[in-house]
Amino acid sequence: MGKRSILFYWLLILIPAIIISSATFRLLYHEQERINSLALSAAEERTRTIGETIQVTIEAVEDELTQSLLNIPGDTLHKTLLDWEGNNPLVRNVFIWDEASGLKYPEKGMAATSEERNFVSRFQGLFTGRIPWPSKKSNISSDQPASGSSGLVQDINSLKKGRQELLKIAQNNASKVNTSPESGDQELSKGGWIPWFSENRLYILGWAKQKKNGPVYGVELELMTLLSRLINSFPVIPSVHTAYALVDDSDRVLHQVGDIMIDKKTKPLFTVSLAPHLPHWALAFYTQGDNSPGGSGNVFMIPACLLLIIFIAAIAAGGFLLMRNAKQNMIDAMQKTSFVSNVSHELKTPLTSIRMFAELLLEGRVKAHEKKLKYLQVIVSESRRLTRLVNNVLDFSRLEQGQKKYHIEEINAGVFLKDLAEFHNPRIKDAGMKTILNIPDKEIIIQADRDALEQVVLNLIDNSIKYASSGGEIFLSTKGDGREVEIRIEDRGPGIPDTHRNKIFDKFHRVDDSLTATKQGSGLGLSIAKRMMEDIGGSLSYTPGQGGGSCFVVKLPLKSDF
Amino acid sequence: MKGLEKISKYRLWMVTLLALCCITIYPNKGSAKSTVNPVKCRIELDRNILPARNAQNVVVKVTLDAEKPEIKIDRPKVNLSIVLDRSGSMSGRKIEKAKEAAIEALRRLGPRDMCSVVIYDHNVNTIVPAQSARNIEWIESRFNSIRPGGNTALFGGVSQGASEIRKNIGREYVHRIILLSDGLANVGPSSPEELGRLGAALLKEGISVTTIGVGTDYNEDLMARLSQNSDGNTYFVETSDDLPRIFTAELGDVLDVVAKRVKVIIECPEDVTPVRIIGRDGRIRGRTIELSLNQLYGGQEKYALVEVKVPAGKTGQDMEIARAEVSYINSYTQEKGTSTGLVKAAFSDDMRVVEQSTNIAVKKELYLNYNALAEEKAISLSDEGKETDAAAVLKGSAQNIREFANKYKDQEMLDKAKAMEQEADTIEVDGMSSKQRKSLRSKSYQMKNQQMEK
Repeated sequence: MGKRSILFYWLLILIPAIIISSATFRLLYHEQERINSLALSAAEERTRTIGETIQVTIEAVEDELTQSLLNIPGDTLHKTLLDWEGNNPLVRNVFIWDEASGLKYPEKGMAATSEERNFVSRFQGLFTGRIPWPSKKSNISSDQPASGSSGLVQDINSLKKGRQELLKIAQNNASKVNTSPESGDQELSKGGWIPWFSENRLYILGWAKQKKNGPVYGVELELMTLLSRLINSFPVIPSVHTAYALVDDSDRVLHQVGDIMIDKKTKPLFTVSLAPHLPHWALAFYTQGDNSPGGSGNVFMIPACLLLIIFIAAIAAGGFLLMRNAKQNMIDAMQKTSFVSNVSHELKTPLTSIRMFAELLLEGRVKAHEKKLKYLQVIVSESRRLTRLVNNVLDFSRLEQGQKKYHIEEINAGVFLKDLAEFHNPRIKDAGMKTILNIPDKEIIIQADRDALEQVVLNLIDNSIKYASSGGEIFLSTKGDGREVEIRIEDRGPGIPDTHRNKIFDKFHRVDDSLTATKQGSGLGLSIAKRMMEDIGGSLSYTPGQGGGSCFVVKLPLKSDF
Repeated sequence: MKGLEKISKYRLWMVTLLALCCITIYPNKGSAKSTVNPVKCRIELDRNILPARNAQNVVVKVTLDAEKPEIKIDRPKVNLSIVLDRSGSMSGRKIEKAKEAAIEALRRLGPRDMCSVVIYDHNVNTIVPAQSARNIEWIESRFNSIRPGGNTALFGGVSQGASEIRKNIGREYVHRIILLSDGLANVGPSSPEELGRLGAALLKEGISVTTIGVGTDYNEDLMARLSQNSDGNTYFVETSDDLPRIFTAELGDVLDVVAKRVKVIIECPEDVTPVRIIGRDGRIRGRTIELSLNQLYGGQEKYALVEVKVPAGKTGQDMEIARAEVSYINSYTQEKGTSTGLVKAAFSDDMRVVEQSTNIAVKKELYLNYNALAEEKAISLSDEGKETDAAAVLKGSAQNIREFANKYKDQEMLDKAKAMEQEADTIEVDGMSSKQRKSLRSKSYQMKNQQMEK
């Protein structure tokens, strides 16, 4: 399986995933829009219902007051109205007007309070007879149910409670009057409510007339009481970043519910007019930031997109890991192939020598004793090489399986290195190299597996002989720093190229891994050496040697630190 | 049988004796003397003897003396709502002091009293719904949730406070809202006129609003009008450190209410004509003058000054000038009470006698009320940018007070005149500062309302 195939398979997963994700994103976007639109409709419906309930409340109050006005007996009219003015918070001012004689109450001059004088001035047009008394009928029935979704029920109940309280005040007036006007005049009685603007402010005047030629009388509604009672029963808004506000004709917020700070720059999402009962007043709905009433915002969209991103990232990461794994497997397979080739070659070379010299000896064609001895030496040497190679493979196998056993003992590092150098000195000399030892007199005792350490140092010396004989020197030194000991094996050979320095301890790695390589090897020696040193608590590292060449450093813990 | 009769008689005597003992030991609290007629009406003239042979204007002072109740009598129950501004400007020391003061005030209430706490910024929240004040620990814990921030929905806050009060409106309580704010109302109706109308409407329900303005940024006109129209008190507190003292004083007033829904009707005889009411809003219908107040506190004296025109009299003649009737609801018994008073004037040609008959106390109150009106006029002039005129009005009033002080050797009035002259000088040079304006508005209101100095 080539890199291209892996990439192809990965793309085969990734591209449909991206397509599915895009489609999902689009669906989610539309779903979010649908949710926002539903929330907007719900908010609109809620606002409208609240607005209608406010209007119904005001109409009911007006109707109740009108009925109370019409029920006042003519003989107690003045007294009853004064009583209302003094005690009813819904009544701001009262008046009695006659077409013939004009305004009878409030009286003129000092008999009127400043409030009453302002009242008369405000409704001058009506009291001078310039403007007729209009009879107003609203289109909204007071029995109109405050219908709406279930979420509105609580709001409406809250407003209804406010309405009941207001009606109670309005009904108080009626209850104080037990008698009704004469039945004969009932048909003639009429009344109405006039929304009135003076100095850009709304005022509401209610009037009644019991007889055809009787006086027109009535009350001015105290809007502050009405407002104060209405806002007390304003429904609490459940969502965040939204607000309802009651605004008057000059866009002044009379009351708001919700966590948005509304100022003159804040524009409502929509408004519901409260005309005809409160002309130019409106109930406005606000949201903050986006057009997502109900406080949903992108609450749905954001987690959905996050999930989508996680999904794509998981596919991409999975694909990447698969690709990386496949690539690693491919490299491993190639290395194993190379290893098998190298090992086969390594096995074949000594076997060929052994076989050739053994056959020569068997055929008896070699007569000279010295020659026989030399051939036998070659056979023995090649057998040892073969054994070492097989041991390496076995060691590698044990290390890979974690079955390698170590026998830790105390070793005098200096003596150990000196003995080893002495023992292998002939071989080093044969390679045309000279051993230079630098071992301090001080005794350095380490804890290590003697065989493992010997195998590692020998492997490093062999490598120097194999690759750096041209340098002519091999340096062996030990150094202790109180915590650990360093054993350095340094040569003056060509050294290891930069590109291979990080890989020389990888298994199967060879600087020259071609079958035609001039030096024989399996690519396992350094990998095994490093692994064994780490297993016994030490380390093996490479550093460029001084004046060229390679320097391998074995670090092992001192006795006390082990 | 005789024996049985004897035992029965003996028992009857014992029961009677026991009943008598009980009556002596536990007197009926409601029938205590001081609660029978806690409001006394006095009526006086600025001069008891008037110059003969000339029609002239006379000032009539109708004084309402509210007796301090005996300590052993159960005071009327209080229905209190504290409305706190928690807008952004209240942050820091102000809100902490306000909370501390409110808690201290609520601690003074008894288990029979009701209380509620409303806070507002641009929204209004009831943190303590109307309930008995006995659960003070829980109520105190609710104050911890107050965090300042936002705008100032003063109208909404007061409305909500009133709504909490209304939960117990049918019962026999003294209803009071204490509003504390340090800023300009900017959500909802926020003009002095509109808040004044709300105050007037609340007064009809027997709810008074006391306003406490903190610092120099609040709208004193709005706060004063709201209190004035609902017959509450108004205070100007320069630093939040004074808040606990003000709350305590205000609560002292609320706990001492002896009469509610007080109405004063002054009737003048045929030849005497009412001219005007000084310092208060009222109504003059023919020869009848009508005034209304909401609550009278124990030990407090409230009065109304009315100017009437008296026809020419003869020397030695005794003429009835006015008679007053005060009606009210006794806070202890919830019964209606009345008190009446009558004032006559004598006439003399001797101006020395006339002068000697001057009622200095009435004259002093008159001058102080004129001064309160002058302070209000100075504020209006200053608002129009006429600082020099404003200073001149204050100086003119100070001069009148000085003349009075010199004439009647009144050191207190002399000091007041000096202080006013100094204030007028400052205004003339530097203009009227926000602090001066608030102080003048507050003093003027307190004078007209006879609010006890705190």
